[in-house]
Amino acid sequence: MDINIIENTENPQSDESEYEEIAHTAAEVLQLMEEAWLNEKFAPEILPHKYDIVECLLGQVSHVEENLSNVHNDDLRRSLHQMELDRLRYLVSSYLRLRLEKIERFVYFILKQEEERSQKGEENYLNDNELNFAKCYGQSLDQHFTDQLQFWPGNIPAEWKNQLIVPNIYSYVFMKAKNEIEGVMINHVNEEEEVVDLKTGSQILISYNNVGHLIRNNQSCLI
Amino acid sequence: MNPEEVEFLGEKQLISVIPTFNSSTIHLVSGDIGPFRASLPVNVPLWVAVNLKQQRKCKIQPPDWMDVERLELLKEAEKTSRNFVKMPSEHYMIEGKLLLSVAADDISRADEVRTIIKDIWDIRMSKLRSSVNTLIMGKSYGNVDNLTIMEINSMRPLIPHAMDQIHRMKMERSRFGTPSQSVSLALLNSSNVASTFK
Repeated sequence: MDINIIENTENPQSDESEYEEIAHTAAEVLQLMEEAWLNEKFAPEILPHKYDIVECLLGQVSHVEENLSNVHNDDLRRSLHQMELDRLRYLVSSYLRLRLEKIERFVYFILKQEEERSQKGEENYLNDNELNFAKCYGQSLDQHFTDQLQFWPGNIPAEWKNQLIVPNIYSYVFMKAKNEIEGVMINHVNEEEEVVDLKTGSQILISYNNVGHLIRNNQSCLI
Repeated sequence: MNPEEVEFLGEKQLISVIPTFNSSTIHLVSGDIGPFRASLPVNVPLWVAVNLKQQRKCKIQPPDWMDVERLELLKEAEKTSRNFVKMPSEHYMIEGKLLLSVAADDISRADEVRTIIKDIWDIRMSKLRSSVNTLIMGKSYGNVDNLTIMEINSMRPLIPHAMDQIHRMKMERSRFGTPSQSVSLALLNSSNVASTFK
């Protein structure tokens, strides 16, 4: 997904033809970022990264910062812009932090999944920097355990390496349908299935494994 | 999620203010606000409104639902309805709390408004607690239509977590399928678990 910002009225003479087809106003990008933040917050597993949005928003932040340097200190605009910048920064850093927390918690599982994805030629969920971080983190964790286990009497246990910490994809989440969704399958433990239709805007408490795909393909969001 | 984070989300709600100063349009990332003309009402996000009010740069026009008569009607509707009534604002609790704390002088009968909002919240929360019972009794999903984010958040760690545990127990039962396992689940399906939420 390519996202570009149509410059708002500050620069009305800009030529729109130089932008890609999918163009969003800054406000829309902000909306997308909020959604991505909430989704990441409540989904048990790591979701495909939204770095296009993050970068777009950070671009806006530095753009505003640049303009602010010309504004007087006691100007009302300055304090409002500054407050908004703080809000934006909070949003972005909270989002990135949530992802890092997930990477640390499920590092081996995520690395395995990412490897499977690249083998199948699917798009990775982590961006390059995150993947790098995950690899380094995994390695130092390994190193740490190896160092510590030197003092283990007898055979060094290796069994734990096969038991990955995996996210509980059956955990319950609150979801809001962004548009009408028909035929959400709900799997019961005893292998029965139930089908539910969701109206636009309806909210539901449901097990994540039934709706994970709806979150990933952007048909609904977590709340 | 912290209540502060819910507040963060609620603060982008637009609200009408009457500025006491003049200024041209301000281009915020979240959208343009203004131009500000003294004593002409203009819509701004709630966080801007609160900030301006604190600097005594505006009067706040309370949203039309923040009115004793309308809230009384809403409270009656909430009392009589079995389901949750749709609230006039997705973040009524946050708007109420913020505006009543910084702009009580701009709201007529502010104390009464405060009490009624609290009453409505209490009615909804007790309804919520009793509906949790039905939810846990056996359905594998629950509708939470018309609940606001703050209300959903108030039952956040507990309810999903309880559902997780029930699911885990059901998984175990289906794996073993022995009668001895179902005893604990019979207990679960009775109101014992739900009554702990009351």
